[in-house]
Amino acid sequence: MMSELLLHLRNITKAFPGVLALDEVSFDLQAGEIHAICGENGAGKSTLMNIISGNHQPDAGQITLSGQDVIIENQLKSQSLGIGIVHQEKSLVGNMSVADNIFAGTQPVSRWGIINRKKMIRDAGDLLHRLGLPEIDPSMPLSQLLPGKQQMVEIAKALSQEPQILILDEPTAAISESDAEILFRIVRRLAGEGKAIIYISHRMSEIFDISDRVTVLKDGQYQGTRQTQETDINEIIRMMVGRDLRHLEYQNHSNTDIVMEVSALTGDRFHDISFDLHEGEILGLSGLVGAGRSELARAIFGIDAKMNGNIKIKGKPVVIRHPQDAMGLHLAYLPEHRKEQGLFLEMSVRDNLAATNLRGLARHSLLSQKDLDAVASHYIDRLGIRTPSAAQKVINLSGGNQQKVVLAKWLLVDPDILIIDEPTQGIDVGAKSEIYRLLNDLTAKGVSVLMISSELPELIGICDRIMIMCHGTMTGILSREDFSEEEIMHYSSGTKNMFKQTG
Amino acid sequence: MQFSAGSLQDRVVTLAITILVLIVVSSIIWTGKFASWENLSLVLLNLSIDAIVAVGMMILLISGSFDLSVGSVVAFAGGFAAYLMYYWGVYVPVAIIAALGASLVIGLVNGLLVAYIGINPLIQTLAMMGIVRGLALMVSGSGIQNLPTHFEAFGQSVFLGLQTPVWYMLIIVGVFSFLVARTVFFRRYYYIGGNEKAAALSGIRVKRMKVYSFILMSGLAGFAGVVLAGRLGAAMPTTGQGMELRVITAVILGGASLLGGQGKIAGALLGTIFMGLVANIMILARISGYWQQIILGVILILAVASDILMKRRGGVTAKQYLTKTTGIKN
Repeated sequence: MMSELLLHLRNITKAFPGVLALDEVSFDLQAGEIHAICGENGAGKSTLMNIISGNHQPDAGQITLSGQDVIIENQLKSQSLGIGIVHQEKSLVGNMSVADNIFAGTQPVSRWGIINRKKMIRDAGDLLHRLGLPEIDPSMPLSQLLPGKQQMVEIAKALSQEPQILILDEPTAAISESDAEILFRIVRRLAGEGKAIIYISHRMSEIFDISDRVTVLKDGQYQGTRQTQETDINEIIRMMVGRDLRHLEYQNHSNTDIVMEVSALTGDRFHDISFDLHEGEILGLSGLVGAGRSELARAIFGIDAKMNGNIKIKGKPVVIRHPQDAMGLHLAYLPEHRKEQGLFLEMSVRDNLAATNLRGLARHSLLSQKDLDAVASHYIDRLGIRTPSAAQKVINLSGGNQQKVVLAKWLLVDPDILIIDEPTQGIDVGAKSEIYRLLNDLTAKGVSVLMISSELPELIGICDRIMIMCHGTMTGILSREDFSEEEIMHYSSGTKNMFKQTG
Repeated sequence: MQFSAGSLQDRVVTLAITILVLIVVSSIIWTGKFASWENLSLVLLNLSIDAIVAVGMMILLISGSFDLSVGSVVAFAGGFAAYLMYYWGVYVPVAIIAALGASLVIGLVNGLLVAYIGINPLIQTLAMMGIVRGLALMVSGSGIQNLPTHFEAFGQSVFLGLQTPVWYMLIIVGVFSFLVARTVFFRRYYYIGGNEKAAALSGIRVKRMKVYSFILMSGLAGFAGVVLAGRLGAAMPTTGQGMELRVITAVILGGASLLGGQGKIAGALLGTIFMGLVANIMILARISGYWQQIILGVILILAVASDILMKRRGGVTAKQYLTKTTGIKN
């Protein structure tokens, strides 16, 4: 590894109204290294990246690039200094071609300002080749690519500017494990070319897989930098949260009573799914992105249409055509995208909590503010939602507390069966363990949980059984004694299938 | 009641203070002319029709939608009732009920096409504005006069010093203030306006609720149209033109947002009072009709701009605002 110092940040301070987002943070980056940045939500990672990429100006501190002091006034400046960023949010346009997306705003032009399509497609092809992705045709519409490949195009777009420093912000949040492998290969190749990579991720295993060094931030303060090889997950987590993460305590509350029986259920993106859910059980649902897990959950809850098969709840056949039907049967569903589908961001914590159970909270169809306040403060206490008051807008809460609001909203209807889709995505370690604790509390009371998650350690840590899907079919269902990451990966990539001899 | 913090409260309070200031200043400038019972009761009478429509518009805006066809429905409902009474000799109550029924059908069509086909409310109600204006011309031609005295009594009687349209307005505003603030049914519109997807996943039947809101809107507009025809003793095919501009402006001034999820019926009334006072003051100040139109347009732009700027402080970008309010992406 080269050790040429490329970027050096000294004592960067940045305050927003009411918060000190960065407090004298220093950070250095060497050419050819992959430097991971860790921290809980709100630790200051995004603010630091926004300063490097010119979105925000530091209140104090100095930035040195290749030995020279620089001021990064805006994004254009950061681009010209050779800094590229791949944002968490997609910046691509679905119905335009891959090449058009890669060169958005920087298309090669002939005289008269006319886009030179041939050159653009050729250049895009070269770039994709360089990334080891020759299978992507630069002239095809972006929307025809799977989400994982779209993420690669996002990286190609950043690389089209030939940056020396590439910032990747949660690049694997929305892609499958196999696509993540391709992404890691690309990142290593870029580092090999001498580019410096800043890698932000919540996933510890990834960070230890790929990075050379790790810097930890906590509450806007620099906690330290370690050589990845000389540290371990526990030390990093201790630095992030200031405490050891207690190992997930698996609790067995499952019994043999079957609360939900799904047989031969078929929908648009999945077919012939059969399984039983036991009382007090946490049944994990694993699989790669696109395996049809969320679609299955949505169909069970009556959001998407079912084409075939049937569902029995406590032994009785039921018909669920709308979420309201599902709720009548004491089902609850926490959607994958909490901001888009779970929360009313501009509304108060109290009003969010009341959303699922307006009827239950009303007397003679009338709502009283006092009743709502009482219920809200009860659930704020019970789930430990950190909010100044029940009247606070949900948009102002942290990710973990927002997720608790969604969970509380569903606890209000007293569900027997809770379907949760990626409940810990994008939330910090502390809030995660609180969510696990809540789930265990629920199963202790006899609630059954069907939990979709892309984090294998989480499923292995907390579930009674794990069911695995691949390309819309069910490939396996494992009991605790058979849990292992490798085994689950075999089933989810289709190399093993319990229900088929040939595979 | 607090559905959202600070900003909404501030806007309603600011509007109430502005109205007070307008009244005080106008009373000083046009002593006797402005602050007379005749003038003020005339202002109330004039704004009563708009206020009835504004109640429905507020509910639509809370749910994140709006209706441009209200002015046409006002003209059509009045014209249709007049047509039935004048040409067919239909009894007054029957004619009124028939006109209300026809209005509800218009709302039903708007609602079904917006909710189940997915036509953008802007386009759907713009088209309906044209269609219903055509129907209004069809039934009332160049205008129908000499309506039955019973019908005129419906819109012109005086009770406790106030004319019936003012009473209708007060009753409708009062009843809906209570319903919207307290009932489960209307509370759902706040959730739909706040986040439609999350509302559906919370078990709210969003499409059905949308249909109801458009039916309610057209029903209130139809009632306003019948009252207006009774008050004027005539049905004119051009009544209600430009009403959508006035009413939407009033409702946004009164605390609604094009993003949905916020607003109260009292705000709709205050906004309408403000618009009524501005119209009255422009007449007292002898500002020409052209300028009145221009000023109304400017007020709408200022109201929406201030809404966007306040939302931006809350973290919503102009682009998200545009996407959500028009349904147009990128």
